Amino acid sequence: MAGIQIERVTKRFGAVTAVRDLSLEIRDREFVTLLGPSGCGKTTLLRLIAGFMMPDAGSIRVGARTLSTPAAIVPPERRGMGMVFQNYAVWPHKTVYQNVAFGLEVRKVARGDAQARMARVLELVNLAGLEGRYPSELSGGQQQRVALARSLVVEPDILLLDEPLSNLDAKLRERMRWELKELQRRTGITFVYVTHDQSEAMALSDRIAVMHGGEIMQLGAPRLVYTRPANKTVADFMGLVNLLSARVVRSAGDDSVVAVGGEHPIPVSLPPGTVAGQTVQVAVRPESLRLSSPGSGAGAVPGKVAEVTFLGNIIDCHVTLDDGTRIRAQVDSGRVLEVGQTVGVEFDSRQASVFSA
Amino acid sequence: MAGSVLALTVLVILPLAFLGWGSVTADGRLTLENFRDALSSRLYVQALRNSLILGLATAVLSVAIGLPLAWAVSRTNVPGKPFIHLTAVVSYLTPPFLTAIAFVNLFSPRAGLINRFFRETLGMPGLTFDVFSMAGLILVTVPHTFPFVYLLAASALESVDASMEESAQILGAGRWRTALAVTGPLVAPAILSGALVAFVNAIALFGSQAIVGLPGRVFTLPTRIYALFDYPPQYGLASALSLIFVGLTVAALYLQRRYLARRSYVTLGGKGSRPQLVDLGPARWGVFAFCVAVFTVTVAAPYLTLLAVSVSRSWGLHFWENLTLQHYRFVLLEYDVTRRAIWNSLILASATATLAVLLGSFVGWLDLRTTLRGRKLLDYVSLIPLGLPGIVVAVALIQFWLRVPLPIYGSLLIILLAYTGRFVPLGVRSANAAFRQIDPSLEETARVTGAGWLRTFCSVTLPLARPGLFAGWMLVFVPALQELSASVLLFSSGSITLAVAVYNLYETGALGPVSALAIVTMLIITAALALATRLGRGQGGIPRGERGTAAQ
Repeated sequence: MAGIQIERVTKRFGAVTAVRDLSLEIRDREFVTLLGPSGCGKTTLLRLIAGFMMPDAGSIRVGARTLSTPAAIVPPERRGMGMVFQNYAVWPHKTVYQNVAFGLEVRKVARGDAQARMARVLELVNLAGLEGRYPSELSGGQQQRVALARSLVVEPDILLLDEPLSNLDAKLRERMRWELKELQRRTGITFVYVTHDQSEAMALSDRIAVMHGGEIMQLGAPRLVYTRPANKTVADFMGLVNLLSARVVRSAGDDSVVAVGGEHPIPVSLPPGTVAGQTVQVAVRPESLRLSSPGSGAGAVPGKVAEVTFLGNIIDCHVTLDDGTRIRAQVDSGRVLEVGQTVGVEFDSRQASVFSA
Repeated sequence: MAGSVLALTVLVILPLAFLGWGSVTADGRLTLENFRDALSSRLYVQALRNSLILGLATAVLSVAIGLPLAWAVSRTNVPGKPFIHLTAVVSYLTPPFLTAIAFVNLFSPRAGLINRFFRETLGMPGLTFDVFSMAGLILVTVPHTFPFVYLLAASALESVDASMEESAQILGAGRWRTALAVTGPLVAPAILSGALVAFVNAIALFGSQAIVGLPGRVFTLPTRIYALFDYPPQYGLASALSLIFVGLTVAALYLQRRYLARRSYVTLGGKGSRPQLVDLGPARWGVFAFCVAVFTVTVAAPYLTLLAVSVSRSWGLHFWENLTLQHYRFVLLEYDVTRRAIWNSLILASATATLAVLLGSFVGWLDLRTTLRGRKLLDYVSLIPLGLPGIVVAVALIQFWLRVPLPIYGSLLIILLAYTGRFVPLGVRSANAAFRQIDPSLEETARVTGAGWLRTFCSVTLPLARPGLFAGWMLVFVPALQELSASVLLFSSGSITLAVAVYNLYETGALGPVSALAIVTMLIITAALALATRLGRGQGGIPRGERGTAAQ
């Protein structure tokens, strides 16, 4: 049983509050990602869980065991967790084998058992045959795997990962992402993962906790957080988004209408309590907009193509609406679009979120 | 390029060549008898042994003092960190002969103040300590060598990424286990390197070995070499001993380089986080007491003693009853030897610093910005003097200039050559570091805009490198001002230097004037550093972690 209960934890550094009255429950065997820009408190929260810091308020428990309170903390070495650092922190004076075996030595695991576990874990992370190498003789990806193996060999219930892929190049990052996910599935370890990369978070996580200013803005499955952001901050952080100012024409739940781009009505879902005439903001992602020929469909907002960029798999274009609003849309790369061309921008009410202005 | 080659040839290569030649010739024929004498005579073997004992004991004690201080400052919440750092820096800057003279005043067998206190006031002669011994020599040497270990260990401890230790911790290792398995091995190269630099510096300190060693008949290589210049001088034997001395120094420096190159870890890791400080609790006052004790022995005791001696008419248990400024008046106004020495040293130190940095700039610039053939060799040659103790430089220069029909022996010029040769590595290193920080594209931009080479150098390179070059200037100026090891063989009455004047006064037993002159020396150094700090906008002084292997 290795669920983590974080209850109303606060951590301050001088005048700065890094984590503010934060509660989060991580379930056993779950992969939870703490996602946010730098300075949002995600690493601080991870280090609080690891026991490198003492909270100023609140408590952290694993199962029935209380690990951290402002009065006392269980030191990191007695928490039985694993942690992978951003810079891997592979010890340069030890070989791959010595690095990985360290945790077993500390735990005084019997020789035979230790050898079997070493062989298994080195196999698992694809490092078999490199046992005698020093870290300086390894690539970044291999060092990364040493760090992983070192944490996994002691079979922790909980593995904490602090931006473990951020120092790798794009291709390797992609592959390691997949390997991590696979690993978590096979081992059943609870993963708490910190990153500022939203695509990484979505690819890996069971649930994402989007953090900002020391608080959790939204907690939920990747798809939900992406398509139904709880607020503008989350919408903005989870990929590209157009934020359009709009006036409510009709407020009727899922069947509402607002006007954008110079009094052009579009269908949206409105939260209850919104009244006609009110100004709101519509958040819509570039890829959920469709461009049609002008006047072809009802509900299409007319505009003029201002800029077209061919990106290979898609075309990224900017459209200027009647009132001068610029909106970004991403369409199939087979489309032929030219600057100056008139188009109709179609909104899908299921893929647009509305926030009060 | 040609100028730099010529300068280094005259300063380093030719004197060394003549030193080598002198060591294997006697009366004009080739022979190995100088080396045979040096290695078979009990006199010289004993000196070699003493030098080794001194070096090793000093290195060990430097670690014993420097490492705890470094750990306390970089890893704990000990109070008074700036004070501890200052203790190390002041110890480093203090002229070694000054410490030696101060401790003679406290611990000379009969007249030493503390010895008299134990013997006469407390009636406990068993607690007296004879400074004129190997133990005394080690005591007065360690204050100048522990800062090397301190500075290197502190910067290593600070640059170990916190995650290295945290990884061990989260795997279940406690504090001690982490220190033993991770931190220790990671900073060991820096500590060993500091110990070797301490060794090299300790065995080269002529001042303390002459002041404390000679009266106690504890002879070392520098003092034996010095004695060989008494009439009739034995140049051949002196050269051979010098080369053996160089061998010892170079071996130690070679070990240091090799060990550092093979096992240097501390610069790893990109954006690392600082380790969390250890909360020592009440124990931090114990650690602080240790620091205060180090401060007392290395800084407070020497300075207070010299200050007291310099203002008392007679040195003894009741020295404060007869205070006077006559010693200061004597050395500053009345005695023309000391007045000349002060001027000579100021001129020499300024000229040396300027020449060393200038030459260093040329060598550094050639190395970094050109593709001229042989520029690397130039760089290596300019670092050779690191392996040459001061007295060896003097012996080499004497060997060279005695055979050249230019009458510079006994002039300020030969001392200037000795200083410049000795300290050129510091100039080269500083200039190299200063230029390395300037991106070549800044210079290229100026060239593309139409500025010529000289214009670019003067209006872009030089202003940008100025703080670094200025720091290098100070790095040379301070040790040059207090240089004794080479000067003591090269001076004449007209070219006497500060340190030599102090040493000569000490030999005549004039303790009051000696102390006054020592205090004046320290005031000049302090004033120069203060000026440098202001002019260099905080860039002056001894940069943290700078390794000056050529101090004193």
